[in-house]
Amino acid sequence: MLKLLQNEWMKIIKRPGTFVMMGLLLVTVVLMGGIIKYQSQDEKPNPNWKLEIQTTIAEQKQNLVQMENVPKGQREYLEKSIAINEYRLEHNLAPNGEYAIWSFVQDASSLIQLAGLFTIIVAAGIVASEFNWGTIKLLLIRPTSRSKILLAKYTTVISFALLMLTLLFGFSTLVGWIAFGMPEQSTPYLNYFAGKVTEESMVFHLIKFHGLSSISMIMLSTMAFMISAVFRNSSLAIGLSIFLMFTGAQFTNLIAIKFDWAKYILFANTDLMQYFEGMPLVEGMTLPFSVSMLVVYFVLFHSLAFFVFRKRDVAA
Amino acid sequence: MTGIVQLQNVTKTIKGKTIIDSLSFEVNKGEVFGFLGPNGAGKTTTIRMMVGLIGITSGDIKIGGNSIQSNFEQAVSRIGAIVENPEMYKFLTGYENLIHFARLSNKVDKQKIDEVVKLVNLSDRIHDKVKNYSLGMRQRLGVAQALLHDPEVLILDEPTNGLDPAGIREMRDHLKMLTREKGLAVIVSSHLLSEMEMMCDRIAILQKGKLVDVQTIQDFKNGVDHVVEFNVVPVDKALVIIQALGIPARKGEAGLTCKINKEDIPSIVKSLTTENINVYGIKEVTKSLEERFLEVTEEREVSLYA
Ligand SMILES: Nc1ncnc2c1ncn2[C@@H]1O[C@H](COP(=O)(O)OP(=O)(O)OP(=O)(O)O)[C@@H](O)[C@H]1O
Ligand SMILES: [Mg+2]
Repeated sequence: MLKLLQNEWMKIIKRPGTFVMMGLLLVTVVLMGGIIKYQSQDEKPNPNWKLEIQTTIAEQKQNLVQMENVPKGQREYLEKSIAINEYRLEHNLAPNGEYAIWSFVQDASSLIQLAGLFTIIVAAGIVASEFNWGTIKLLLIRPTSRSKILLAKYTTVISFALLMLTLLFGFSTLVGWIAFGMPEQSTPYLNYFAGKVTEESMVFHLIKFHGLSSISMIMLSTMAFMISAVFRNSSLAIGLSIFLMFTGAQFTNLIAIKFDWAKYILFANTDLMQYFEGMPLVEGMTLPFSVSMLVVYFVLFHSLAFFVFRKRDVAA
Repeated sequence: MTGIVQLQNVTKTIKGKTIIDSLSFEVNKGEVFGFLGPNGAGKTTTIRMMVGLIGITSGDIKIGGNSIQSNFEQAVSRIGAIVENPEMYKFLTGYENLIHFARLSNKVDKQKIDEVVKLVNLSDRIHDKVKNYSLGMRQRLGVAQALLHDPEVLILDEPTNGLDPAGIREMRDHLKMLTREKGLAVIVSSHLLSEMEMMCDRIAILQKGKLVDVQTIQDFKNGVDHVVEFNVVPVDKALVIIQALGIPARKGEAGLTCKINKEDIPSIVKSLTTENINVYGIKEVTKSLEERFLEVTEEREVSLYA
């Protein structure tokens, strides 16, 4: 099995595309750091922040009263904003107090999408490319079962995802540290969940956030992998997965407004952050529910991939 | 002795179409077995079934007694193969490709890799990327990967495709060496007869998915009819005389041609000279193997649609 993994990694590393991906990730993080640094130069901590926040709270409260029929999402956003701002006033915590390393890592975490994109590209190609190249014929006539080969390929996808996440976390920590330095005093992260605001250590929050975000990334990659193994077509796998990555959540949100069964859709469950911050998409959804749904989808994708890959005639 | 490769009533049906129809034959150790047939006869399909790339609809294929269906890993570890073109990872070097395939079978070490590289004469280019290889070099690399794990059976689908005359000769010598010295069974497919003639010990002729015949190359050649050409004047009169003897004959380019055995020549000459026909020459026209092959496959075609 170790040898199979070595093989898969050799095929990934020896292609220039892989370094382009890593390079792009690094460049984007650096670019982001540069832009934020440039913008924050003329942004000084506002001594009158308390006054400012009070006005905002008043405005938002009025909005809330005026718009009785605003969509649920918007209401929640306002409620959250008000709650957090009130907490700031109470505990004397200035907003955008000091922009330092962890603030940057937090901002850069939006690039998890990019890491996810690259992982999907790798997942979509790892089986289908062997068919395109014709090398599948030489790969499958060895005393190694098809299941083992497929398992090695999937394991490689997961380790690639982890590598991407680690690189992103590493790059952004490094860039954040160089550009913004360590904070003089640690600012806590304010978490709003179920109407309550709590303080959290920033580092803990970031690790939790990256970990939970990777779940969505891994599910999408698993889907791309399945499409790749079943249809043997990498363009289809890449196209469909990326399309769903960018639109799946929105579609699910739209459906969730009208129908309860939206909670069975994959994308309603990939964002586990909803159980730690904010509100679940559909009322009554719980963390165990989402985890079981994810397991069901995971098993489904793999059953499909293994069943078809083991059985099909290879006439490439 | 039973063959190392056994095909037993192998049939392949794809979407209701029978592509291979009840194929049975055996290949022994130490022989080069040719798989001959026109385009679309089903050579590649049969080879794909032998190496387990596609399923077998009915029947079975055994390699050294192990069924490729029920005992895949045992069976396939005895086979080295190239199926159609030897497609390799173009972004890897030849050497990395070999390492890749070596990792997929147990017990292949670096020494073995160097050995096969030397055998196929690729030593000076083995560290180049495969995308810079010529077709012939890829073919050699293909043979190298097939020999990595010391297989007992070597299956090559159109191995001389893309090789220059020197390369073809070299390949032929390799195959002879592998069968004679190492006792391998080699199966090669081709539609080039001249090549098969020089390379193979036995050939199976495949036509529209059916086995037409399995013969040693010697028997195959002997099956060629003897056609004798008589250079005679006047031709028309001679034709009448010969036909009167009950021998099929017709006017050819340089006189008369007739299908007879060698022993009949003197009596025919006697008849012709007594009738005052001038005989300028007698020539035996052996058909080329090519013609014989076309003949065999066409006969088959005729009988199929008769
Ligand atoms: N996947 C498939 N679906 C339908 N028909 C197929 C499939 N694969 C092969 N065939 C048909 O089976 C027949 C045999 O094909 P095969 O490739 O085995 O021929 P071949 O003897 O190798 O020919 P060539 O000399 O051109 O390489 C052809 O008529 C082909 O169209
Ligand atoms: Mg073929």
